[in-house]
Amino acid sequence: MTATLTELDSSVAGEIVEEGLSSKPALGRDPFTELSEPDPFIERLNKLQQSSPAVRRESQRTILRSAHEPTPRAGTSGRTSTKPEHSTGPQRPIRLPLRSWATTPTLGEIELDDLKELIDHLLSDHERRVLAGLAQLVEGEAPYDRYGFSPHVLKRAFPIFHTLYRLYFRVKSEGHEHIPTEGPAILAGNHGGLLPFDGAMGIVDIALNTDPPRLARAIVDRWAGSLPWVNIFYARVGQVIGTRKNFADLLGDGQLVMVFPEGIDGIRKTVAQRYRLQNFRVGFIEQALREQAPIVPMAYVGTDDQTPILYDIKPLAKRLGLPVLPITPTFPLLGPLGLLPYPVAYKIVYGEPLRFHERFGPEGADDPRLVRYLANQVRRSVQLLVDRNRK
Amino acid sequence: MTNVLITHADEPLGRKVVKALFHDGEVGNILAVGGGPPPRGFDRYLGDSGRVQYTRVDLAKHRPASELFRGSAFRSAEIDTVIYLPRHGATSSAAAPIVSGLPERTAETRLVLQNCLETASVQNLIALGSAFVYRLHPGNSNRLDEDSELDLDPDVIPQIRSWIDCDMIFHGEVHNDRMRVVLLRVPTIVAAGGYVYLNPSLEGRPGLRARALGYDPICALISDKDVARALLAALHVRNSGIFNISGTEAVPLSVLSRWTRRVSIPVPGPILRWIETTTRMFGIDARQAADGDHLRYGFTLDTSRAEQELGFRPIDRIGLARAGDGTVRLETASV
Repeated sequence: MTATLTELDSSVAGEIVEEGLSSKPALGRDPFTELSEPDPFIERLNKLQQSSPAVRRESQRTILRSAHEPTPRAGTSGRTSTKPEHSTGPQRPIRLPLRSWATTPTLGEIELDDLKELIDHLLSDHERRVLAGLAQLVEGEAPYDRYGFSPHVLKRAFPIFHTLYRLYFRVKSEGHEHIPTEGPAILAGNHGGLLPFDGAMGIVDIALNTDPPRLARAIVDRWAGSLPWVNIFYARVGQVIGTRKNFADLLGDGQLVMVFPEGIDGIRKTVAQRYRLQNFRVGFIEQALREQAPIVPMAYVGTDDQTPILYDIKPLAKRLGLPVLPITPTFPLLGPLGLLPYPVAYKIVYGEPLRFHERFGPEGADDPRLVRYLANQVRRSVQLLVDRNRK
Repeated sequence: MTNVLITHADEPLGRKVVKALFHDGEVGNILAVGGGPPPRGFDRYLGDSGRVQYTRVDLAKHRPASELFRGSAFRSAEIDTVIYLPRHGATSSAAAPIVSGLPERTAETRLVLQNCLETASVQNLIALGSAFVYRLHPGNSNRLDEDSELDLDPDVIPQIRSWIDCDMIFHGEVHNDRMRVVLLRVPTIVAAGGYVYLNPSLEGRPGLRARALGYDPICALISDKDVARALLAALHVRNSGIFNISGTEAVPLSVLSRWTRRVSIPVPGPILRWIETTTRMFGIDARQAADGDHLRYGFTLDTSRAEQELGFRPIDRIGLARAGDGTVRLETASV
């Protein structure tokens, strides 16, 4: 049994949990080997802990509260303050709200229209309520948000992805209580499979299991935006190109942002590297600190089995301008059809939120070493979730 | 009390701004400058005890522009503020596309700025620029602030090149000690009835338009009335600088085409490029851009700086509405 996420969270505060770790690194190139040596950051954190016991007590209380109590939620009628009070943490930087996003009603508050279209007959009342709730996310009379998200298109696409969710990938999930019901948050998960069905299944799972329903805005690579038709589809279903500005604005709007910090390296893992997380990018940590957003680690189990890559022809892929050129048991044997995922069962697990911003504040984002260290902490959290749920 | 000179007041956007200035209690004399005869709607303003004057001047030519700033009308109105609206109506640039080796818009901008700098009484220059000057990256979600990179690619289409030239001309004077310079960068301007201004691919009369096959960029919109409000906001504050202003709506190019009675035809990218190259090679002054990143990639504007420093927030909603005669058309309405 490896360390729990609560322990990991407290390790960030200076108490590194070592007894739960296996002697053999679970990762191919484990960046945490440096923990065996005195780390200046750990020393600094310990000093911080010793110097301000009140801060430490309040932080621990906050962690406990966030783990056991649901976050107060915004309401449409007579709802009160929505922000959890963290009196000791660094104050969120004052910024003008970009837009006053419409408050999403809870599922119980949504009154459904009559069954009008074929799609309405295909979906259950719960799913129709979810879609009606997501439609509230677009402000104004125009049917698109500023990134091109269209609830109308989402409604058309949802039955397809929901069928994949239930029947093809047979998704099971747990830990939804860790997804904040309101306010900004970053979902950081492992990436797998050649085609990004992991993100799609995550978005469906989060929408179905949050109340009020939340739309996770997945951050996608820039090259996806240059692909004809794909760029339109991604935009219409709420995915956003990963620039710093977009990331900051989404968090500033209090939205749920889904990232795969492994990037392209995640999807081109070969069979030998399955479920061994690659190095994480650090941009999401900087944004989490600057925008004061918690990071929810999420683990996908099953994604690395959906298209097992036997070999990646990197030089040819580079020459063709492709992120990956794989050889799988079915590709190129069956042509493009060989890239389709096998019907593996997915399991999605959400871990406890990591609230780095409460300890380090926005100024922590300017410290590259700290940012790298925290990215590794998130990576370790996700790796532990993956390892625990593969068994 | 501020006395204002406004350029291209006879064009649709100019008329809206003159109306807003006329009803503003802190604006005194208004010297409206246009290229044609005064619009009929100006009759009610021109009769109002001489507070509003209208004069015809070709601002793209050196002598008329110089004479305007040294003329008796300018002196008697005691102009201290110039609102520079670029040419945007249906007749723009077709008559005189090149002036002194420069595109008409660039030549005009240069002369207006030069005369403002040489005229000691002018304390404020408020100019309307375009947000199409920014470099766009692949994808529909280019969120741009004032510090975003400009598209300085030498192969950029001529319409946008002239906007960038104008932008750079004003940019150089933003920190001028004597004169306050404000540049407002606006996205696509729409007006009730389905009119579109300052959009390189949609401006002009309704009709056929090309768009890139497989792409449908999101277009940030602002109503003409909100543009007038933004200019007034810039007039009344003491800040100088460059500000993005935009409305609350953003719609894909195909939807905007439909709303504004344009028929957009998806054309494969290579053919679009060939059309653009060919028209440029033969010197054809195409009214609409046939190619460019803005036909593929969308953008919206971060307007937080304008909200904080100018106090401007858009209040118009833009959408389709049923008119009195039963037709469905694009309308703008304040909320």
